[in-house]
Amino acid sequence: MSTGFSANMTFIRRAFQQRRKAPLLTRHNNTWRDYALIFVPYVWMLLFFLLPFLIIFKISLSVTEIAIPPYSPLVTFEEGAMQIILHLENYTSIFTDPDGTYIRSYLKSLQVAAFSTLFCLIIGYPLAWALASSRPAVRNVLFMLVIMPSWTSFVVRIYAWMTIMKRDGMINDVLMALGIIDSPIQMLQTDFAVYVGIVYCYLPYMVLPLFSALMKVDYSLIEAAYDLGCRPVKTFFSTLVPQTKSGIIAGSMLVFIPALGEYVIPELLGGKDSILIGRILWQEFFNNRDWPLASAVAITMLLILVIPIMLFYKIERREQEKLNAGK
Amino acid sequence: MESEAPVDTKTASAAAAQPAAKENTAGQNNQPVKQMHLPGQLPGQKPTPEQQNRKPILEIKHVTKQFETFTAVNDVDLTLYQGEIFALLGSSGCGKSTLLRMLAGFETPTSGSILLDGRELIGVPPYKRPVNMMFQSYALFPYMTVKQNIAFGLKQSKLPKAQIEERVDKMLRLVHMEEYVDRKPFQLSGGQRQRVALARSLAKEPRVLLLDEPMGALDKKLREQMRLELVDIINSVGVTCLMVTHDQEEAMTMADRIAIMDKGEFLQIGGPREIYENPNCRFCAEFIGSVNIFDCHLITSNATQSLIACSDFKNPIELTHDIDLADGMPLTIALRPEKIYISHLPPQEQTNWCEGVVENIAYLGDISIYYVRLTDGRIVSATLPNVDRFKEGLPTWDDHVYLSWDPESCIALTF
Repeated sequence: MSTGFSANMTFIRRAFQQRRKAPLLTRHNNTWRDYALIFVPYVWMLLFFLLPFLIIFKISLSVTEIAIPPYSPLVTFEEGAMQIILHLENYTSIFTDPDGTYIRSYLKSLQVAAFSTLFCLIIGYPLAWALASSRPAVRNVLFMLVIMPSWTSFVVRIYAWMTIMKRDGMINDVLMALGIIDSPIQMLQTDFAVYVGIVYCYLPYMVLPLFSALMKVDYSLIEAAYDLGCRPVKTFFSTLVPQTKSGIIAGSMLVFIPALGEYVIPELLGGKDSILIGRILWQEFFNNRDWPLASAVAITMLLILVIPIMLFYKIERREQEKLNAGK
Repeated sequence: MESEAPVDTKTASAAAAQPAAKENTAGQNNQPVKQMHLPGQLPGQKPTPEQQNRKPILEIKHVTKQFETFTAVNDVDLTLYQGEIFALLGSSGCGKSTLLRMLAGFETPTSGSILLDGRELIGVPPYKRPVNMMFQSYALFPYMTVKQNIAFGLKQSKLPKAQIEERVDKMLRLVHMEEYVDRKPFQLSGGQRQRVALARSLAKEPRVLLLDEPMGALDKKLREQMRLELVDIINSVGVTCLMVTHDQEEAMTMADRIAIMDKGEFLQIGGPREIYENPNCRFCAEFIGSVNIFDCHLITSNATQSLIACSDFKNPIELTHDIDLADGMPLTIALRPEKIYISHLPPQEQTNWCEGVVENIAYLGDISIYYVRLTDGRIVSATLPNVDRFKEGLPTWDDHVYLSWDPESCIALTF
């Protein structure tokens, strides 16, 4: 009787035993260590982003002077009176320049950045797809192929493109040898070369966010779309694109923002007629030594970037809140 | 097809738990074919589709699927008849999902052919097959509302807008989701998501509906509730349905016919009752329900009686039919726990009983499972329904008991 009873008790106990749940996240009181941890990056950003930004902003509100540094001081003391003079003519001259040089180069830069982003997206999506859908062993190799070029110096790689694309470079040699063309094509000093350079250099920044978005994709949705009669191309736009939206946005920003202010690539590969905003900045700073105007150009470029991004984030957040409210 | 059928073939407990559903099903009966008792049929068993002269709709012929070195589906033949619910039942990795995916068009068979209404399906891409699937995870588009999800398939076939609207409304009424049209999937409960998924896969009026583990994403209570409801909806539409499941209760509750699959092959195809009461092999007997398996050998067999010796107890087992086996050959006897009687007194007969000591009792509420240790140490399980709330005189721990059974209860398995 005893053994049977105890066996039964175990049975009962097991049935009624409450599963102990360990709290996953205990209430956490912030200590000075936590603050110290956050402090380091904040100090870094303060010192190397916000402070230089404020200095540039300050310079943009002055006028040039033949002095060291070559601009008028913002605050002056004369006969016991403190004067703060804010010059806004740098900003107005950007927009009222008779040749429209600044506006034109802004537009050109926006165009180059936008098309480069689009090309990166078109080339990067299949690449990211190949990465995400390959076997882990193959994936590592593909991953290295995407990342490895960025281990070499950026400038060296641009010079490599110069030798590939020059009049007696590899591409022209091969095309002539094959009899496709009779005389070499002018590739350097064209927009084409600029696009090649930018797309080549920034492709990894597009591929990686796309890859991580594609890894999270629910593949059964693709099958569901197929099953419901959706053709392949439409399936891509109706299932994959909405699911990888965050990756597309992140990748596009990572390409678009640096491409907008890109200086080295258009300088080395681009033509004389395609003057981008990077070139203007350089000329104003170093050739004309007009630091205030150059600063104003830089600040304007920042605003062109920041305002749409902030608007975009605001809309995104509102949408996210709407979704969360439903939960 | 007769729509009482799914209820008729249910296990007693499932039918008892759903009396309302039973009436509901009977009420919706608008199909002309009534259940008839044909000769040679077990009582309560449905006529086979062949007996009802139903039209075959889907024919799978010698289909094999090989993945590199592994054969997932091995030379399988199956015919599905108009309006039936067919379940592929097997443990994970048995090839049932691969077979389903081949029907949907996501996998291509290595060899064989799949005919739908007599037309070859192999080579037809998934988006051109008149077959729709309800996915295990439902695969609802998270960025679309309930309405957009259901309308998705209809939009692909470029129906006029008014017609899409009408069909979506009809589907919403069918699954009772009218109030939730503008919700997104994450705002729905598991059961509601399942209804939307079902509505979406039925919206295009597929020739065959494929269900991949239809209850897999639901919790146990909801699962039992949804089974008959799903059958109701499917029957009211009249669509032929092929489902894949690893849950035998689900297969038995929902399906008209079941195929037990193992290692890419069908072991047995039949109605739920046939498969439970008349398994054709040891795997099937053990796979469905619980069973006591005894290794035996045949003593003698003639047309009306077979005597079998079991190594686990001294009395022979007697069957009332002949066994096509030479005397002395080994065979397996399968005995379901609910078919065993437990008593304190020794039976009068010479055959079909054994004795032991109650080792353990599992009280499950509706039934109790008695684990009885035979004299040679072997444990046999037997169930007793708990009919009375406080019955005296039931066997208890360490009691010496006698287990007996009817000759018809034993299943002789020769492989």
